[in-house]
Amino acid sequence: MNLLQQVVNGVIIGHAYALVAVGWTMLLGAARLVNFGHGQMYMVGAFVAWWFMRLTGLPYPVAVVAAVLVGALIGAVMQRLLMRLTLSRDLVSLMIVTLGFGQMLEGAAGLTFGARPQTLTSPFQSMTLHFGAIWFTVQDVILVVATLVVFLALRLLLNATKFGVAVRMVAEDPVLTRLAGIDIARVYMGIFAFEGAAVAFAATLVAPRTPILTSMGFDQVVTTFVVVVLGGIGSVGGSYVAGLSLGLFTALFGALVSPAYTTAAVFALLIAVMALRPGQLAASANFAR
Amino acid sequence: MSARLEIENLRVAYGASQAVAVDRLVVEPGTLAAVVGANGAGKSTLVNAIANWSRAAPRVEGAVRMDGEDIAGRAAHEIVKRGLQLVPEGRGVFMGLTVEENLREGAPSDAGPGRRSYSIDDVYELFPRLRERRSTAGGSLSGGERQMLAVGRALRMAPKSLLLDEPSIGLAPRFVALLLRTIRSLVDDGLTVLLVEQNVRAAMEVTDVVHLLERGRLIASGPVDEMRDDPRIVEAYLGGGHG
Amino acid sequence: MSAGRFLPLAGALALAVLGFFLPRLLGGSTLVYDTLVVIAIFSAMSYGLDIVLSDLGEISLAHTAFFATGAYAAAILTVSYGQSAWVAMAAAILASLALALALGLITLRTREFAFSLVTYAAAIVCMNVASNWDFLGGSDGIVGVPPLDLSIGPITLTAGQSFEFWPYAYALLLLTIYFVYRFRRSSLGQAALMVHMNPRLATMCGLDGNRVRLQVFLVSAPISALAGWLYAFQRSYVGTDLFDTYFLVLMLTSVIIAGRGLLLGPLMGTALLMSQKSFASLGAYGDKLVLGAILVAALCYSPRGLAALWPRMRRGPL
Ligand SMILES: Nc1ncnc2c1ncn2[C@@H]1O[C@H](COP(=O)(O)OP(=O)(O)OP(=O)(O)O)[C@@H](O)[C@H]1O
Ligand SMILES: [Mg+2]
Repeated sequence: MNLLQQVVNGVIIGHAYALVAVGWTMLLGAARLVNFGHGQMYMVGAFVAWWFMRLTGLPYPVAVVAAVLVGALIGAVMQRLLMRLTLSRDLVSLMIVTLGFGQMLEGAAGLTFGARPQTLTSPFQSMTLHFGAIWFTVQDVILVVATLVVFLALRLLLNATKFGVAVRMVAEDPVLTRLAGIDIARVYMGIFAFEGAAVAFAATLVAPRTPILTSMGFDQVVTTFVVVVLGGIGSVGGSYVAGLSLGLFTALFGALVSPAYTTAAVFALLIAVMALRPGQLAASANFAR
Repeated sequence: MSARLEIENLRVAYGASQAVAVDRLVVEPGTLAAVVGANGAGKSTLVNAIANWSRAAPRVEGAVRMDGEDIAGRAAHEIVKRGLQLVPEGRGVFMGLTVEENLREGAPSDAGPGRRSYSIDDVYELFPRLRERRSTAGGSLSGGERQMLAVGRALRMAPKSLLLDEPSIGLAPRFVALLLRTIRSLVDDGLTVLLVEQNVRAAMEVTDVVHLLERGRLIASGPVDEMRDDPRIVEAYLGGGHG
Repeated sequence: MSAGRFLPLAGALALAVLGFFLPRLLGGSTLVYDTLVVIAIFSAMSYGLDIVLSDLGEISLAHTAFFATGAYAAAILTVSYGQSAWVAMAAAILASLALALALGLITLRTREFAFSLVTYAAAIVCMNVASNWDFLGGSDGIVGVPPLDLSIGPITLTAGQSFEFWPYAYALLLLTIYFVYRFRRSSLGQAALMVHMNPRLATMCGLDGNRVRLQVFLVSAPISALAGWLYAFQRSYVGTDLFDTYFLVLMLTSVIIAGRGLLLGPLMGTALLMSQKSFASLGAYGDKLVLGAILVAALCYSPRGLAALWPRMRRGPL
């Protein structure tokens, strides 16, 4: 294990963290919502792609599209359920509802997809590229590129489109947004659908690295929680930086200190930041940056 | 292009306490009516209720008609789309958006018959100061610039009637005069305006009609020339100095 | 004692006695005993969260960690150190207090949203430590917790089988409910409610909000820990599954579903959820789906609990 390889791994994992976190970042920035069901939405995204490939025999890229559509639908359903709480900005109740929503998804996935581990097969996972002592897969390259594209597109969307401006209005002051003639329920619908679609997309790109289980949601994305809370509240760009930093941190901490305590270290970092700066979670007007 | 605004039996309550009980209030098309009253009289509650908009979710009953169509109870954004626009008290702009972004959201150019739409450039014509500050964030504007932006944002929705809640609060006197003169010019162009003002003297300069609100009830209404001499207004708001 | 106080007291006593014989009234099968024991233990666990959630109005997501702390203390002291259940009980209380103190101090300045996030993060750190530290059994957990033995001198108090556990679980439940009842009448309980409902008034009355929060948090932790302590003996092994989101969702649902602040609310909530799981199970996945759906429905459609639906239903059809 050389250090350079660890850095490469860190960059790849960091992009995975960032991509998994992007929808949640938007949800947190615009609707102040911590989605504890995010991990289960990730799991469902991976399983829908796997199931779709098995049922139809169509290739992986088509399955990615199918999973993204189902993800958007799940996000939209979630918005309908949470509508009243979102409008009343009852943040704590919202957070707990997402816990329940995650349980529902996990139960439903178990009933539908069974308890056995499965593999989401991507043809790009077995193509490896070697450069001297370091190596990575084509799937990794796709992951990194896709992450960059998604983040840049999101920034463009938020800063240069009508919908993006509406999202930023809702993020800052949903009540005032109504006076701009905007139906904020529809803006929220868009935000939730984006969260669902984005996490499903992330799942289809990240999940081929490991076997998938219906119980994996929590383990897979628990670190994302830190990316979102630390980076996402500042800005979309912030969560990219946070994802990348955290990827490097976990790769290096795992290699140099202790792989077992990586999660604990990451969360201790989060606790320290939040305890020292509780104002961190205050509404931020420029999360689109 | 202007609309007749008619309010009937409007009752607004926060929990158990009634804040506004107005039996009848009419703003004739193309006129400016001012609502004046002490702090806590219910002025904001009244205009917010007309637009069915509030941060506090009070209980609202009664009829609000614009050109005969009852709009009470519709969602706030629908009312905006029908051409009734509120500029709320205090912060009426988005701090995290630039001036130009604040003005971006607007009614479609074919908003409806008789509605004058304002392009972003029209707003800049009206308030040249905003053009200079077009890329500045709303949060970095001065109080006066913010109020101009709030009014500009409202005009972008192509309103038939406009409710303004204390647009002059905290502004330097020259800004107050400028803002109120601009509003008067909009009325002369045909807009119907209901204006809540603390600065009664300044409001008297531009308004057609004055309504005096006390503890949620209209206790006096009339054309500005009559109301100027009304003892209740003279004593409380114009002081002894008035000629 | 006046009749006005005597009647409710007699009623409560009668109910308590009746409750003790409930498993026998329900047929006395192992399934009934198992279910009721688990209901008693999980209710006690939920009461710990209840006083933070209902009285203080903050949502702690760290109470699974207190529950697990109690269970781990019981397992380590009896299995690794051969100590008695009494010693383990003291350790469970002390360990949970220490954890609660650390967490309480860390979260002192956080409120609502931030408080929940930090407590959640803390629970994850605890889980991660438990699954990697050999002292805590690592990812295998600790197996072979001996049967409960609370004998004092000549009095033999032991429990191995589930029907033998019932008296202890039931006693723990009654004590917990009595404790919560007293807590709500204590000056701390009143202070918590005031800090929750009207912080400004609380400050004017000279209450230090942060201090009250910390104290309530400290009071709540050992309640959940004691439930964990007993659960370790009942299950005879502890593992990282104690930190599972399932317990968190179970606790939150139990507290919320019947109605926040009702003395018997968490008991009724737990009883409802666990009875479904025991007697009308839809399999592990189906039960998860049901539990999640109940929590979502409760918060989205009746955030004040089933108790709030009651007067509405009575008024409804007439
Ligand atoms: N959110 C609220 N909850 C409860 N009562 C309120 C609320 N907002 C206003 N009130 C009450 O309603 C009454 C009218 O308030 P309102 O803000 O409409 O007065 P105002 O005339 O606009 O005063 P000001 O000149 O200070 O703006 C007051 O008695 C006030 O205490
Ligand atoms: Mg006011």
